[in-house]
Amino acid sequence: MTGGPGGQLVEDYLAEVGARLPAPARERAGILAELRSGLLDAVDAYRDARLSGPDAADEAHAAAAADDAAAADAAAAIEEFGDPGLIAAAFGPGLALGQARRVALTLLVTGPLVGLLWATAATASHMGSRQAPPWQWVGALPGSLMVFPLAAAIAIAVWTALFTVAATGRATRWLPDRPRLAPGTAAVAGFGAAGADVALFVLLASELAVAPGRLAAVPAAAAALASAIRLFLAGRAACRCLTTRAALAGH
Amino acid sequence: MRPEALKGHLDGMLLAALEPGPRHGYAIMEALRAGSSGQFDLPTGTIYPALRRLERAGLVAGTWSEVGGRRRRVYELTPAGRHMLDTERGSWRQFSAAVTAMLEPAPLPVTS
Repeated sequence: MTGGPGGQLVEDYLAEVGARLPAPARERAGILAELRSGLLDAVDAYRDARLSGPDAADEAHAAAAADDAAAADAAAAIEEFGDPGLIAAAFGPGLALGQARRVALTLLVTGPLVGLLWATAATASHMGSRQAPPWQWVGALPGSLMVFPLAAAIAIAVWTALFTVAATGRATRWLPDRPRLAPGTAAVAGFGAAGADVALFVLLASELAVAPGRLAAVPAAAAALASAIRLFLAGRAACRCLTTRAALAGH
Repeated sequence: MRPEALKGHLDGMLLAALEPGPRHGYAIMEALRAGSSGQFDLPTGTIYPALRRLERAGLVAGTWSEVGGRRRRVYELTPAGRHMLDTERGSWRQFSAAVTAMLEPAPLPVTS
């Protein structure tokens, strides 16, 4: 069945489920395609049962009744599938895990790239030629003290992102069913990455204040731009993870 | 039987429904109904999230294929899924034996 009143009922139902699914477009399309396939199987099952029933001969010959019967089959299949809100809510924990995993993986992939840009900027600015560690650079206080919070933020972001990736993959078969955990740790990882970017900006500002001529402009600008973009995206992703976590309050 | 009664057992039953071979979502639901003589009558839509959860855990593998002129996502047990099913079966037998022992009325003591 692809059209007719029955098909329209199925599509309306799927649209209602889709509107409540907090998923990226591609994932939502995959879910709806699978639900559609199952719904059409259910419609077929109701139609087969009807046609093999005692009134089959009468109904098969009534064209006007056929449309009504097809709509009734679709309505029965939809009732069997369940309330759209119930179905969308049942997908919620899985979608939350997927969201947390995407955020964590993105942070783990982009983190080294941003770090590489900052390392390039530092090397090009001859910061590496200094013999003393950053917190002992003359005239660089208090900015260079940001090295400590920077290291802490990076450590928090990396470890929580690694935990999130581990907890949202195959390991879910052994872990207790706690769907709110992964969005929470992904949010911490996102805020950790954003915190690292803030610390890097403070270090950059400190260096600009103390010895502006020593900075290699292009690599430093590229690193700052990358950090600014990540700061915005990581902060936004972390906030969205917290929203998802809050939405799972009943689970 | 109410859906809440199945909480905690649905995963094992889905794995068991896939034990004979690959099935698509609606066929799994029909297998659950037939296997339980209609006792397990969940909202059909709720087994799809459960199947995705099992897939994420690596216990089943899902692939799209064309069956009977319709695109369907077909699931099959992975080796890890078979192992998990064995484990679930063992746990259930222990649990049900213990509950049965508690719930069944004890035989009255014979008095002379």
